[in-house]
Amino acid sequence: MTASVRIAQLYPVELGITGDRGNVRALQVRLERAGVAVDIVRVAPGDAFPEAPDVVIVGNGPLSAMRTVRDDLERHADGIRSFVADGGALLAVGGGAELLSRGVAALDGEYLDGLGVFPADVVRTRERKVGYIVAQSPLGRVIGFEDHASEWTVDDAASAFGRVVSGRGSFALPSGAGRGELVRAGNAFASNVQGPLLPLNPELTVGILQTVAARRGASWQLGAGVEALDGYAAGARAKIEQLVHDKVFNTIQL
Amino acid sequence: MSSVAPQARSAGLRYVFPVLAGKLARFATRLRGGGSAFPGYLTNKLAPSLLPTLADQFPYGVVFVLGSNGKTTTTHMVSEALRAHGLTVFTNPTGANLPQGVTSALLADATLTGRVRADVAVLEIDEGYAADLADRLSPSVILSLNVQVDQLYRFYETERVADMMLDASRRAHAHVVVNRDDPYLSKIDESAMRAPVSFFGVAEEIVAASKHGLANAADTRSGNAGTLAREAYSEVRRVQARDIVVRVADADVPVRLPARGLHYAADAAAALAVASRVLGDRFSTEAASTGFSRMAPAYGRGEVIPLRRDPAGEKVEFVMFKNAPSLQMNLDALDETPERVLMAIDEGTPDVSWLYDVDFDALHAVDVVTGEKAYQLALALEHAGVRIGAVEPDMEKAVALMREFPQTAAGRQTWFVNYELMMIGRRLLGHGDQEVARR
Ligand SMILES: [Zn+2]
Repeated sequence: MTASVRIAQLYPVELGITGDRGNVRALQVRLERAGVAVDIVRVAPGDAFPEAPDVVIVGNGPLSAMRTVRDDLERHADGIRSFVADGGALLAVGGGAELLSRGVAALDGEYLDGLGVFPADVVRTRERKVGYIVAQSPLGRVIGFEDHASEWTVDDAASAFGRVVSGRGSFALPSGAGRGELVRAGNAFASNVQGPLLPLNPELTVGILQTVAARRGASWQLGAGVEALDGYAAGARAKIEQLVHDKVFNTIQL
Repeated sequence: MSSVAPQARSAGLRYVFPVLAGKLARFATRLRGGGSAFPGYLTNKLAPSLLPTLADQFPYGVVFVLGSNGKTTTTHMVSEALRAHGLTVFTNPTGANLPQGVTSALLADATLTGRVRADVAVLEIDEGYAADLADRLSPSVILSLNVQVDQLYRFYETERVADMMLDASRRAHAHVVVNRDDPYLSKIDESAMRAPVSFFGVAEEIVAASKHGLANAADTRSGNAGTLAREAYSEVRRVQARDIVVRVADADVPVRLPARGLHYAADAAAALAVASRVLGDRFSTEAASTGFSRMAPAYGRGEVIPLRRDPAGEKVEFVMFKNAPSLQMNLDALDETPERVLMAIDEGTPDVSWLYDVDFDALHAVDVVTGEKAYQLALALEHAGVRIGAVEPDMEKAVALMREFPQTAAGRQTWFVNYELMMIGRRLLGHGDQEVARR
C-alpha cells in the first residue's frame, strides 16, 4: 500500500457528464485538509486498472457512452469485484452505476450486461425522474438532484441504503413501503443522485473516508479545516430541502 | 436554389380578427407585466395558417439560429451584418425562441391584414422546437452553432440535442450552416439535406492555443469522439483580443467582437457564413465589418454599467454564462485576474453539477457569491480552491456589498451572472426595465 490515498476515476471523459469530478474532489479536499496525501488516477479506455486503489469513482454518461466503455470495463471486472469484496470503497453514479449492476434493459430492447457488483437489475423507462431529492440513510439525509429514466430492482433490504423522503428515487423498497435511493454492497454505493453527491453530503463523504481509513488501519483528523466546506454544504442542503417541495420541472419524456 | 424568394404574397383580410385578437392580448399581458406567450398561443389557435403566411413574405427568407450556446449573440450578429447591407431585418427578442414567443414577436410587427414589412427574418430558435417551427416557417437557412453539455435536466442527453439540430437542418431549403469544430455537427450527413452545407470554424492553431479549446461536447456514440475534417467556408484566422479576422470564401473580413472570447469569434464566423449565403453576390466585406462595429453590446455580453449610478465612476462589467462551456470560455478570455468579482446563479439553472467541470484557475477570489444557488456555487468554488469573501443569496444585498468596496485600480468590477440575475443586476444598478430588444 502506498503512502498516499489513491482515488481512481474510471472513464472521466465518457462517464463524467454531471460534474462527476466533484465526487473525486470532495474526497481529495477533505483528505488533503487532514494532511493526507492523495494520488488521483484517471482511467481511460485501454488503460490498466490502477494498482491498490483506495477508492473507485465512476460517473454518469449517456447510453452511447455506456456502450462505448462496456467492453473495456469487462477487462477490469475481476479487479473491481474483488476490490469491493475486500471492503474497498466505491461510488458509482448514473450510467456508471448501471454498468455495475447485473445489467441494463434499454428502451429499444437492447440489454447491456453489467459487472454484477451490485445485486440489482436496471430497466430504462420512458418516464424521467427529474428534480431535487432527499433520502434518509444511516449516514444522514442524502440530498441532491436526480435526473434519470431508470428503475432499479434490488434483491434485499440490506442493499437498500436510503429511504426517499422527497423526490422519486431509483427503486421500490424491498419491504414494500415506499421508495429507495442508494444501493449498497459492502462499502460500494450506487446512486442516481447528482449535485454532485459527495460535495453536497459531507456525512456520506466522511463515512466513505472512514471505511478507507479502517481498511488501511489509519486514523485521520477528518474534521480539520473543513468549516467552510461544511458551512456551504449546510447552506446548499437547507435551500434544497426548501425547494424540494414546491419546484416542478418540465422535461422532455422519452 | 436562389436566395431571393418570390414576391411577397398578400396575406389578406381573413387574418384581421386573429391578428387583432393577438395584438389586444399582447397589449393586455403587457399592462399586467406578464409573459408574451399567450398572444401567440391565441393567434395560432384562431389562425393556424397565419405563421406560414407571415414567413412567406420575407424576400430574403427566414434564417434559424440554433445552438447550445451563443444563439442570442449570433442572431444579433447576423441581423447587424444584414442591416449593414441595407436590408430590413425582423428578429425575435431574446428568449422568445419557443413557438408561441416567435408568433407573438411576429404579431407585434404585423399589420392587421397579416403583413410584416421586412426583407429577412433572423430568428433564434430553441432546439427542442426547431423541427416543428421549420415545418411552419420554411426557413431558407438553418445555422447550428454548437452542441454542448447543457440543460441535461431538460434534454436528458447531449446527443439528442445534436439530432434535433441535424433533423431540423434537413428542412432548410437554401443553405445549411454548421460548425466544423463540433464533433457531432461536423458529422452531418450532407446527402440527407435538401440544401448544400457550408461549414464555419476557427483555425486549428488558434483553437490549440486556447486553454480549454472550444468546449464542444465529445461525440460518445460514433466511435470517433472528435471532429471529421471539413473545409471551412468561413474561418477565424486571427484573434487579437476583440479584433479578429475571418476568411469568408476568399476574402478577409476584419471584425470587432462585442466582447472577448473565442466562442464569440466562432459565432462571428458563423454569422458571416450566414450573411454571405443569404446575400450571395450582394455580400460585401466592408458592409459586414460595419455591421459588427455597430453592434451595441447585448445585455450581459461585455456590457459595462456604472456601479454607483455615476457615469464617470467605477463600472461593472457583466459576463453572462449559462453552463460549463460558456463559463469556461468567458474565464479563458480574461486577460488578467479580475480585481473584484461577484458571481451569481439562481434557480433558472436548476442542476449545477456542471460547476465541478469548470476550471476556475483564472480567479483567485470571488468577493461575493449570490443568487438562490449561492451556497451550491460557494461549495463548488471552495472545492476548486477559490477564496470566497461573502455568501449572500439575496442579490440586492449582494449589490450593496459590492458597492461598499473601495474603488478598484482599473475602475471596474466583474460580475459573472446567469441570465436571470443579469437582468436583476442591471435593474438594481438602475439599468433595467426596457424590453430586451436587439435594436
Ligand atoms: Zn443591434
